[in-house]
Amino acid sequence: MSTQVVSIDPMLCTGCRRCADVCPVDAIVGRRNEPQTIDASRCVLCGQCVLTCAAFMSPFDDGAELLPEMLRKRGLAEDDTAPLFAANFRIDRKKVAGMLTDPEKTTMVQCAPAVRVSIAEEFGKAPGTLSPGKLAASLRRLGFDYVYDTIFAADVTVMEESSELLQRMESGGTLPMFTSCCPGWVRHVETAWPDLIPHLSSCKSPQQMAGALFKSYGADQVGKTAGEIASVAVMPCTAKKGEAERPEMQNDGFANVDAVLTVTELAAMLKEKGIDLDSLPEEEFDAPLGLYSGAGTIFGASGGVMEAALRTAIAVTSGKDVDESGVAFVESEEEPGVFRASVEVAGKTVRGVIVSGLAHVAPVLEAVRSGNADFEFVEVMCCEGGCVAGGGQPKLLPGVDVADAVARRRKGLHDHDRELPVRAAHRNPAVKALYENFLQKPLGERSHKLLHTHYGKEAGRHE
Amino acid sequence: MHARLSPFILVSASKCIGCRVCELACSAAHQRGGVSVGSLQVPLSPRLYLTSVNNVRVPIGCRHCEDAPCAEVCPNNAIIHTTEGVQVEEDRCVGCKTCLAVCPVGAMEMAQVWKRGKPAMRRVVDPSAPGGVRYEPASLASKCDLCRGREGGPACVDACPEKALTLVDPIEVKRRRNFEAALALSRTYEEV
Repeated sequence: MSTQVVSIDPMLCTGCRRCADVCPVDAIVGRRNEPQTIDASRCVLCGQCVLTCAAFMSPFDDGAELLPEMLRKRGLAEDDTAPLFAANFRIDRKKVAGMLTDPEKTTMVQCAPAVRVSIAEEFGKAPGTLSPGKLAASLRRLGFDYVYDTIFAADVTVMEESSELLQRMESGGTLPMFTSCCPGWVRHVETAWPDLIPHLSSCKSPQQMAGALFKSYGADQVGKTAGEIASVAVMPCTAKKGEAERPEMQNDGFANVDAVLTVTELAAMLKEKGIDLDSLPEEEFDAPLGLYSGAGTIFGASGGVMEAALRTAIAVTSGKDVDESGVAFVESEEEPGVFRASVEVAGKTVRGVIVSGLAHVAPVLEAVRSGNADFEFVEVMCCEGGCVAGGGQPKLLPGVDVADAVARRRKGLHDHDRELPVRAAHRNPAVKALYENFLQKPLGERSHKLLHTHYGKEAGRHE
Repeated sequence: MHARLSPFILVSASKCIGCRVCELACSAAHQRGGVSVGSLQVPLSPRLYLTSVNNVRVPIGCRHCEDAPCAEVCPNNAIIHTTEGVQVEEDRCVGCKTCLAVCPVGAMEMAQVWKRGKPAMRRVVDPSAPGGVRYEPASLASKCDLCRGREGGPACVDACPEKALTLVDPIEVKRRRNFEAALALSRTYEEV
């Protein structure tokens, strides 16, 4: 697939430049009152422009008669009543619908943590309404053969990433280590800070780890081959569409993830089929790749990856098996969006930094570049607040308090973490079984092949 | 004749950036839904219109004229001047477009009207159909109603990121202008 993931329709753009105000990497180019374009060499595909844009095709506009054609070009039905906005992301609904009806394919779907605290908004519910059971049920109603969960893979990411951090600390590897879960962040390092690429963890993101496991371990479990599996991801994020297409994100010639739907795309597909999320029963995700802990759950909120990794790192190195790390990260007044704390792990001090929002990341990276970094582990989420605020999340109407909605979605994830019986990744029985029966150990040969990758300066792939 | 002049929404063209948030907020305020665009149940239909000419971008909407030509010419008495401004009674509108023709600012539109999630229908004579009539979605007169009944007033005013829209109460404006003039005059008098 080569169509641009995020774009601005010159037919609809009025040149108000509100998108430029929210772009964390100054990728929106154009003069006021004229249609804007996206500088592909800087754009990280985060979709914040898509969430902000209000320039839509009104039925009273000159050119409104072109609407059916414009809908078709965007991959939507001609009678779709959803408004068309200037800033938009690529719609992959048709591709997924094709997989669902392909008799040759066994479909496996994964759902990112931040989806279950936002999708109900598209059905009239308040922001932060937690609906994992209904989400699983809705995916089953759409026709997916196996309804799995990205959170399972987030738990695997904790295993791999915390091991990698400990290994880098023991062996004198490149520090500080940067998380690599957020594709917008990874892309920003590649495009704007390429000299810091070695700091990125070699872990694939949970989306990609899940996909790699679907087509190996998962395929074995259901008696299929990798080629017979169609792997679909439901994400709160537009950059995940780009991530899935990276050439590094495949094994044995098969892409780990074949198609990515955003929350809004999934909601639209459900409505098209007459599936009302609210009236569905609560159902479980399928085992084993849909079983998850509280640790993986909070990956959807900024700070969550760090907290999840600490829970396991503390347990593995000290034997103190905690539900919560107890580490409080503090934001300083001089550095908005940057949170710091230190913690003892294996007799060593690990100093962690959490950055919420790419717009706040530059001073932290300057410190790393100049050799003045006084920290070992950095978690960065491109969108302020984390994936709960991603560009694939429901687009909020004017007048709705965005910060409040994001806070409610975050709270939804933290509530979910607290109510789960298992709250640390290494205690997830499905993760234990995965290592016992398949991967052997974190950073092992199979993990390395399936779950790790390399990042590089491959800018410009966003045609 | 009403005792009070009708309020109306005044736009500052110098502040407007043409983002269309006003149109989006307006459309959403007139239909059912939740917090997100995807939760809206019917297509968007704004009641003010971002208009560009040369380098000017500004939304144009109803001024709630005191001697409203639309109300004057409506052959079916569907447009009436109320204490809440000039209002269209959709149930009486037949879509004749006379109001649209006479409105001095172009505030009137013929829009598809949705009621309880379904398009409002109109009866059309059809000799070929049983009973000689058929029903089809109606396009009816639609314009700014100052978000009648909305807590917090007009949604467009609330939503504008540039604060370019204001709900103007002409009586208040007159009173304020008079006070300002009086104070200015008093200062002039003291200085002289």
